[in-house]
Amino acid sequence: MEVFQVTLSDMLLPALSFLVIIVVTWVTAYVLGAIVSRLMSRSTPLVAAQAKRLVWAFVWFVGLLLAVEQLGLHVELLLLIVGLMGAAVIVGNRDSLENISARYFTDLYVPIKVGDYVAVRGQTGRVIEMNPICTIILSADDQLISIPNTVFVKEAVVNATPQAWKELTIPIMVGGDVDLAELERSVLKSCNKIRIHLDQRFPPVLSVKSRTPQSAELTLTLMVKEPGRKEAISAEMNQRISAILESAKKKGQP
Amino acid sequence: MGGMKEEVDYRFTPGGVTRMVFPLLKRMKEAGILKGATWVSLNPGGPRHSVLDGIEFRNVLLDHESLAGYGKTKEAIWGTVHGLSEASSSGDMFWRDDFTDYAYYNRLSAETMRALDGEGDFDLFYVHDFQQLPVGYMLGTLKPKVFRWHIPFDRTTIPKLWIEPLSTYLNSYDVVIASSRRYLDSLKEFGFGGVARHVYPYVDPSDYSKPTAREAKALARGLGIADREKVAVVVARMDPIKGQDRAIRAMAKVRSQEPDLRLLLVGNGSFSSSSGGLKLSKGAAWRARLEQLAKDLGVQDRVTFAGHLSQRELDAAYVRSSFTVLPSVQEGFGLVVIEGWIHGRPSVVSTGAGVSELVQERANGLLFEPDDVDTLADQMARLASDEALARKMGARGRVTSRSCFVEEGVKQESDIMLGLV
Repeated sequence: MEVFQVTLSDMLLPALSFLVIIVVTWVTAYVLGAIVSRLMSRSTPLVAAQAKRLVWAFVWFVGLLLAVEQLGLHVELLLLIVGLMGAAVIVGNRDSLENISARYFTDLYVPIKVGDYVAVRGQTGRVIEMNPICTIILSADDQLISIPNTVFVKEAVVNATPQAWKELTIPIMVGGDVDLAELERSVLKSCNKIRIHLDQRFPPVLSVKSRTPQSAELTLTLMVKEPGRKEAISAEMNQRISAILESAKKKGQP
Repeated sequence: MGGMKEEVDYRFTPGGVTRMVFPLLKRMKEAGILKGATWVSLNPGGPRHSVLDGIEFRNVLLDHESLAGYGKTKEAIWGTVHGLSEASSSGDMFWRDDFTDYAYYNRLSAETMRALDGEGDFDLFYVHDFQQLPVGYMLGTLKPKVFRWHIPFDRTTIPKLWIEPLSTYLNSYDVVIASSRRYLDSLKEFGFGGVARHVYPYVDPSDYSKPTAREAKALARGLGIADREKVAVVVARMDPIKGQDRAIRAMAKVRSQEPDLRLLLVGNGSFSSSSGGLKLSKGAAWRARLEQLAKDLGVQDRVTFAGHLSQRELDAAYVRSSFTVLPSVQEGFGLVVIEGWIHGRPSVVSTGAGVSELVQERANGLLFEPDDVDTLADQMARLASDEALARKMGARGRVTSRSCFVEEGVKQESDIMLGLV
């Protein structure tokens, strides 16, 4: 008959390792998040925030797996199941996922928005809805035309809206309890600093795209004077907005 | 707090907006059209929250620096739409740092209204005047939004750089109400794509008392006006756009014909220039210029500056007067003409004022072009010399004033609001 003896140190050591890994994971997630924020300060604040969130999630995923392993549990099977489920979801919803990710990139990089007059794949009309799967346009003869979002990243899209080339929209993601009035004032003042590069007929406009108690998605719309400067203006404004958000955070504002 | 008394516990800021909005809300509530109303406004010295006659007041407070920037922008807009030359450099107003304070105040108001909407689930937002124009856009709600534009709207005075932002803000409202037909036409010509209406501003006749002749005499004596003198009264805040200088110049021309005519100027600074408001020094500076002008023209003994009068004193001033004068260069409407009519006094009205649409020449008043001082002088002399005519025109004016009573305003504005909810 075998006798298993479990001493106090046998129990304490894995628990201690678990705790140490959790702490290290927390520190690593924080440090890497800050590095990503710094590296992406010239990118769109929305993209920077999402990249930071992705790094954070990855670090915690790896950290938790390592921590769980310290407790003597085998994670290989868990990983295999998660992996297979992920693959199944991706294969099963390939088209939808393609459209969803296309929607994400369209939002950021394709210069169209609801209200614009566009021509794509032989269809023309006003964009009246952009949902995760398709973009709906209303044709001149009152027909609704659904165009999969992937088309917008794979094919040429003509935006025939007057002045559309001037428009620069910068998405900004903030906490739901943000001091919007103060943020807007700082952002508008910041825009004034580069006004010589902007079309004076169209002052900057900050609008609230969506809002929940937890977060608010804002859009800053600028109209540039010269198309060649659009990218530089975008980069500079992204940097300025990141600095404003950082400064607000330091002052204790969300 | 329902027992608060006007002039004792609170005072309406100068100008016609509060004078007409408060009775509107009260009447609509009494008529059961409104279940409740919450009034959000800037009140630097007021409490955050108060209740008066069942209407909730939520005051937006601003720090001194923001208040200054907001005030400058407000004045720039006001001066520009009134065609003032000193405001002509404000074309780039939307790009100035002062404008960010104006935007800040509007966003604070919109956020306050949004939060209150979360609690009260309002049916409609009713935004008054150009100081709050961006609120409709900033509210970001699909609930009905009505905007009342109280000041003149002449598209020819709008700077090119303002067209786009002004269109954006105006088009965020479902209905825009202008104060007169001419401003409504201009709004449409400007390209406002929504529903536009015109509703003449209105007053609550029960707000006006009927002082006795003795009270009127006592007020006049207190102001140094002799019993034999005839009085032409100008009721307006001290501001160049109100054209008191024209009335003084006209006095100088009338003096030889009507040596017993006295010009009584009632009013002091606006909300922007008053000590309880934004404390800009415009009002005091303009009064000093007018006093100097009267001296220069040798009519200082014919012109009396009464400053601010309480409502009762103002009523007494109307009663003591022979007629009123509205010499404004530009004026959204000109409720003081209606007030004069309520007291049976005819008026000499500048065609630059919206209320001139209601003046029927020689029937209830007399008209003059704002820069035509000679005609103003002739019209003043006509009313001063012919008491019977003045009385007859005053009586006709009293009838006309009914079209600007709050009952009419409630009817028209309720129709607009009920059509949206």
